[in-house]
Amino acid sequence: MQAISGGYQYGFDIIDQTGLPSGTVYPALGRLERDGLVKSAWENEHDAHAEGRPARRYYKLTAPGVKALAESASFYRALLPAGKPKPVRG
Amino acid sequence: MLRFCDFVLRAVAPLVPYDIRRDWLREWRAEFAYTSARARRTGRSMPVTSFSRAIGSIVHALWLRWDRWRVEMIMQDLKHALRSLRRKPSFTVVVVLTLAIGIGGTTAIFGAVNAVLLRPLPYPQPDGLVRVYKTSLDQQDRVGGSVSPPDFTDWRRDNTVFTELAALNNASVALTGLGAAEQIPSALVTGGFFEVMGTHPEIGRAITTADDPMGSRDVVVLGYDIWRRRFGSNPSIVGQQITLDGTPYEVIGVMPDGFRYPLRSEMWLPLRFSARDLETQRGAHYIDVVGRLKASTSIEQARENMRAIAARLATDFPPTNRNNSASVHPLRESLVGSVRQSMFVLLGAVGMVLLIVCVNIASLVLIRAVGRGRELAVRAAMGAGRATLVRSLLVESLVLGVMGGVAGLVTAYWATTAIASLDPSIGVPLLNQTRLDVTVTFFAFAIAMMATILFGTMPAWQASSLGDVVSRIREEGGSTTSDPKRQRMRSMLIVAETTLAVVLLVGAGLLARSFDRLLSVDLGFSADAVQSFAVAMPSAKYAAPGQRQQFIETLVSRAISHPNVESAAAVFGLPLTNFRFSISTSTRDGVTLSDDDQDRLTLQVRLITPDYFKTMGIAIKRGHVFTVSDRLGTERVAMVNETGAALVWPNQDAIGHQLEIGTRFGLGGDRAGGTIVGIVGDVRDWGPAVPVAPTLYLPYAQWPEDSMTIVAKARNGDPSSLIQPMRAVLQGLDRDVPMYSVRSVPQIASNAVAQPRLYLVLIASFAGTAMLLAAIGLYGVLAYAVGQRTREIGIRLALGAKRGEVLRMVMAQAGRLAVVGVGIGLIAAVLASRVLRSQLFEIAPTDAITYVAVAGALLLVSLIASWIPARRAARIDPLAALRHD
Repeated sequence: MQAISGGYQYGFDIIDQTGLPSGTVYPALGRLERDGLVKSAWENEHDAHAEGRPARRYYKLTAPGVKALAESASFYRALLPAGKPKPVRG
Repeated sequence: MLRFCDFVLRAVAPLVPYDIRRDWLREWRAEFAYTSARARRTGRSMPVTSFSRAIGSIVHALWLRWDRWRVEMIMQDLKHALRSLRRKPSFTVVVVLTLAIGIGGTTAIFGAVNAVLLRPLPYPQPDGLVRVYKTSLDQQDRVGGSVSPPDFTDWRRDNTVFTELAALNNASVALTGLGAAEQIPSALVTGGFFEVMGTHPEIGRAITTADDPMGSRDVVVLGYDIWRRRFGSNPSIVGQQITLDGTPYEVIGVMPDGFRYPLRSEMWLPLRFSARDLETQRGAHYIDVVGRLKASTSIEQARENMRAIAARLATDFPPTNRNNSASVHPLRESLVGSVRQSMFVLLGAVGMVLLIVCVNIASLVLIRAVGRGRELAVRAAMGAGRATLVRSLLVESLVLGVMGGVAGLVTAYWATTAIASLDPSIGVPLLNQTRLDVTVTFFAFAIAMMATILFGTMPAWQASSLGDVVSRIREEGGSTTSDPKRQRMRSMLIVAETTLAVVLLVGAGLLARSFDRLLSVDLGFSADAVQSFAVAMPSAKYAAPGQRQQFIETLVSRAISHPNVESAAAVFGLPLTNFRFSISTSTRDGVTLSDDDQDRLTLQVRLITPDYFKTMGIAIKRGHVFTVSDRLGTERVAMVNETGAALVWPNQDAIGHQLEIGTRFGLGGDRAGGTIVGIVGDVRDWGPAVPVAPTLYLPYAQWPEDSMTIVAKARNGDPSSLIQPMRAVLQGLDRDVPMYSVRSVPQIASNAVAQPRLYLVLIASFAGTAMLLAAIGLYGVLAYAVGQRTREIGIRLALGAKRGEVLRMVMAQAGRLAVVGVGIGLIAAVLASRVLRSQLFEIAPTDAITYVAVAGALLLVSLIASWIPARRAARIDPLAALRHD
């Protein structure tokens, strides 16, 4: 979800960004979409045709998805030792 | 690459639920196209990434399918499956039991094979461990052949292939001074032993080459078990003295848990050779040699090196070594080489059972599922897709498989435990290391599951692929005969099952006939009421021959005076205890024999007290037995068995003749032998299958050894009733002489055939299972066929067919299958039974009686199995059958 939060994301970009195998990412996306945290749509046909390839499907966070991400982020932050959250690299 | 990815996508697409399949294909195609376009742009090729992502598409498709099914499956299908399994309890029970046998049996036997033959030996880098044997020129590569100390010393000095070479010898020493005296199986080892084994003491130090010289301090390394059992795991025992055979030994180390070599030893003491041993004992072969190969050396190189050394020793010492060579074999081979073949035969047999199990389950599940063709067709007509039908049967098969799997695991656990706790004297080394092997359990489980699922779901594919649902419903309901194609498939399964069952039954039959022959062999003694036990006199206390003779004589006479003892005696070398003590004859009637004759006239030597033959029920053929007046200092006398008499004095009466044997080892310094005073019947010393050896009996009083076996015959016929009284007699004489190897002669005799018996029991139970499964399979196929043909049979009966004719018709169908199966099976058995040749005693692998009996038995069982469905067919009511929709 963190990976998608940056904006529209395509399947393979998420794979590249998270370093997770495609067999993990797609089912995860499927589950998030089923739970209404992520939604998907097809990119503009024209843009794709301009590049000489078919249109790709992109994923983005829904409003409940944004909320869930914020909650889980604060949950994980709470697990860190007391004090300031450590800067995360990347 | 793009084409490959597209191929994968198209192949996997049918898995994806139909309504989202197009989107799925589009997304993946687009992603691949994008990646490939980008790669083209940047000039990089990404085959590996694309490949791994193509795999990802399969996972994704599977996930989508699962995600769709999950809820429905668990709730609806599971309920449905349980209900339909409960509705047919006999089917469910048979399948589950069949799976249990297949999985349990395979796992247990493979566990044993794994422990004995496959799992690495429990020593570091076991591949480098070898045994080195003295062999003869005509059998250079033989496994087995003890070595003489001088040869060993030369081998160790001259070889270039071993990092270390060590000699060892089995021993048994009495531990005294700490409660009850106990005889401990031990090993005498030279300094390099622990280095060869690559195992070091957990506490203290090992025996090293510094302990080798004669006259060094007496030291002992304890095994973990005895350290725990007798010394309460006390680490400060190291450095203290314990009394072994009446001599103080300093404990220098304790070995880690699980270290056992030789397999039975619990303590290790130094093996030492005196200068005189090394000078005079080149012909005395009594030590075993182990070695560790250098890392870069192959076993073949080691063999060449050892052969070259043996050839040089043959030139240097012709009298003792001229026919000698040497062989090198992996330690594992020397431990288990003798049982390797039978273990693999067992594995093959249990593999066949697993195969039959699969075939049987396939046929049962197939029949059941096809019988539900109508149900499936109706469901298809109501709109269930092929995938839904497959899923429904899949869940049912899974439930069945899991139930069978659990039952199989329980069986496997039980059988494994039973194998591991078999009496070690059965003679299969490492068998008690048998463990439940997870890999194999899983493997057997997976195979059986696959059979269940594959054959369980097959009809669903067919059911919905026919398309014309209406005609199918009609066909299933009103068919006059069953579909010939499917009938053929089921018939083939039955024939295959019968074939396998015949092969196993022939194997079991041959082994049973062979075992029967083994049991009917006359062992040459009759001692059902005889109890035996061994005593070893500590060498320090009983150094003089007279002391030993006195001790044994008193012990035997006190035993005889017990009211329940009919007779008692002592022997050095009880039959059936794998005792070997052979010495070549050196002079016959005063004439020194040639070297070749000396070797040819090698005799087994046994030392006995006068009542031995009487107690053991061994026949006196001619002459008389030893008397109490044959003692040290009187005229030397001897007896021979019939084989020995015929060997040494062919066509003559041996009585009155004289012979002397070369004192290679053991009997003091004098030449043993004397005048033959009697000839006794042959005794099968090494078991019923081993030919009788020429044997020389000498009076114990003239050749007092320090370890003897006492035999006592009970008046009341119950040998075990003598154990307590005899223990009391022994303790009354000397508390420091332990009683060990306490066994009755019937126990010993039963033990001598324990291995073939175990083998027979296992193969026979596999064969019995196979036959039962084949019968169940046949019954299932016929019962189904009769059910399918109810209408046809009804018509026949209505048109005037007699009930007997219907009965015959169904039985004939069964008969045809059985005859074909038995026919093929007999041919297969002729080929397969060859592997049993070495296990068979006086029975040829092509023994006609066995083949005929097996064929008859299987045909009979087939007839019985077909009787029930045939009778049901004959009892069909034509009216009811015709009304049958």
